[in-house]
Amino acid sequence: MKPAELARTLLAFVVLIVLHYTVRPLLGWRAAPDFLVIALLVVSIRVRPGTAAVVGLCVGLISDALDLQAFGAGALAMCVVGFAASWLKAVFFADDIILNALFLFAGKWAFDIIYLLTEHQYGFGELLLQLLVWSPLSALVTAAFGMLALLLLRPILKPQPA
Amino acid sequence: MPTAARAFSRRDSVLLVACVLTSIIARGLPDRLRDPVAATLRQTVLTPLVAMQRDAELTHRAWQSREARTLAQDSLALRSMTLDAVQAENERLRLLLGLGQELRWGFVPAEVLTGRGVGEDYTVTLSIGSRSGVKPFSPVVAPEGLVGMVKTVDPSMSIAILSAHPDFRVSAMAADGSAFGIVATHLGAEPERYLMEMRGVPIRSTLKPGTLIVSSGLGSTFPRGIPLGMVLGEIRTSELWARTYLLRPAVMPSEVTSVMVLLPERAHAGVESVWRAGRSSDSAARGVIAAADSIARVNRADSLATADPQGVSRSDARVRAPAADSAEVAHAAADSARRRRARARARAESAALADPSLRPIQHSDSAPKPPDVQPVPTPP
Repeated sequence: MKPAELARTLLAFVVLIVLHYTVRPLLGWRAAPDFLVIALLVVSIRVRPGTAAVVGLCVGLISDALDLQAFGAGALAMCVVGFAASWLKAVFFADDIILNALFLFAGKWAFDIIYLLTEHQYGFGELLLQLLVWSPLSALVTAAFGMLALLLLRPILKPQPA
Repeated sequence: MPTAARAFSRRDSVLLVACVLTSIIARGLPDRLRDPVAATLRQTVLTPLVAMQRDAELTHRAWQSREARTLAQDSLALRSMTLDAVQAENERLRLLLGLGQELRWGFVPAEVLTGRGVGEDYTVTLSIGSRSGVKPFSPVVAPEGLVGMVKTVDPSMSIAILSAHPDFRVSAMAADGSAFGIVATHLGAEPERYLMEMRGVPIRSTLKPGTLIVSSGLGSTFPRGIPLGMVLGEIRTSELWARTYLLRPAVMPSEVTSVMVLLPERAHAGVESVWRAGRSSDSAARGVIAAADSIARVNRADSLATADPQGVSRSDARVRAPAADSAEVAHAAADSARRRRARARARAESAALADPSLRPIQHSDSAPKPPDVQPVPTPP
């Protein structure tokens, strides 16, 4: 990755992290968009799988620092999702809006599944409700907001001609 | 999103395994090791992010509390509006009570039923009918004056035309008897919709604005002395030998909620002294206030009378001056004397009211009549 491209990706990453801590509490929805997952996926498709896993670990640890009961669960979920996203990015070779939305949806749902199974904070019934109702809803919202964010950040993320 | 097909190498696999192991270790860390790590992260990387999150949540809470505050303000405004309506109804009922005290007999209180349809602005439905003794052409009055006249009577309800009805006529005169005429509705446009006019006033009779116009009693439908309205001014008409005056009605038809229907016997007996006695509501209000004051005074006198002088503590005795004590006792004695006189008067009035011929007719639609109450009492 060229330095200019790296800087632009980093800028988009920071912007999405900031959005996570400003827009999400402002909305106050139960099925809220997860800008951390969007930021991770934006970075993951531009770096190697190993690097994506490291980025995921860092982002996960940062988010886990505010939730001590699940410390490490978010890090595990993030590094797995980041690695998988970077590995599978060859599938999403086209700049198709539907495929990107599906990519974000699957990434957020996978994150929730790993996170919820790792943290062990819910009973079976409530876990099923979370996995089958609230997580898909949150993934849907995340995909919608992710597409919006990608459209807004397109000037930054667009590859510059050499 | 840009794409580039890259297979992951051994280095990537090692990194993934390392990250997964780190996560699992972090997940299984004991509290004494986990808390310092998390605290370090919170105090370094997360500090600005947490500050932003706090600001966002404060904004969100402020927005939510604004909605709650608006709801509370709306509720308060709604409650105050209801309070105004209750106060107005209270005042209205007090006025009606005063009128009932002045009339004493031969009337039936009635509620004006709302929900009138389009085109029924000049008629009202009353909650009483022939079972209560109401007959066609019975005058309908309010504390302020004449409301209208019963037109149709059913057993349990009746329909009355208001003074603003195009067919309504009443023989009228100035309160001082200086001029006579016929009062009818003005039939003006919306601002003057409920105004009335007094027609056929002789050319030699001049009425000043503010002159009270009352019913003259001619024609035997409406008894003499019911206020109809106030003179606003003279209207120029084509009549050469008579004047026409514009009147503001004593009762606004749109504000009528509770009325009294005068029975024919009462109408024949005359009501001239009822509205001449002044605002009957004032006497009712004075009665209510006087009753409350009397009760307060009686309680005070009783408490003083029952208080044991020996039981007064020393500190009380030091605080209270002897002169104040004697003044208090003198007031109490005077109050007790006044109370005895008031009780004697009340007993006399009760005895007088116990005479069935002095009682007002009871509303037979809402409650059954006691056997000793006469449906239509004879005038005194």
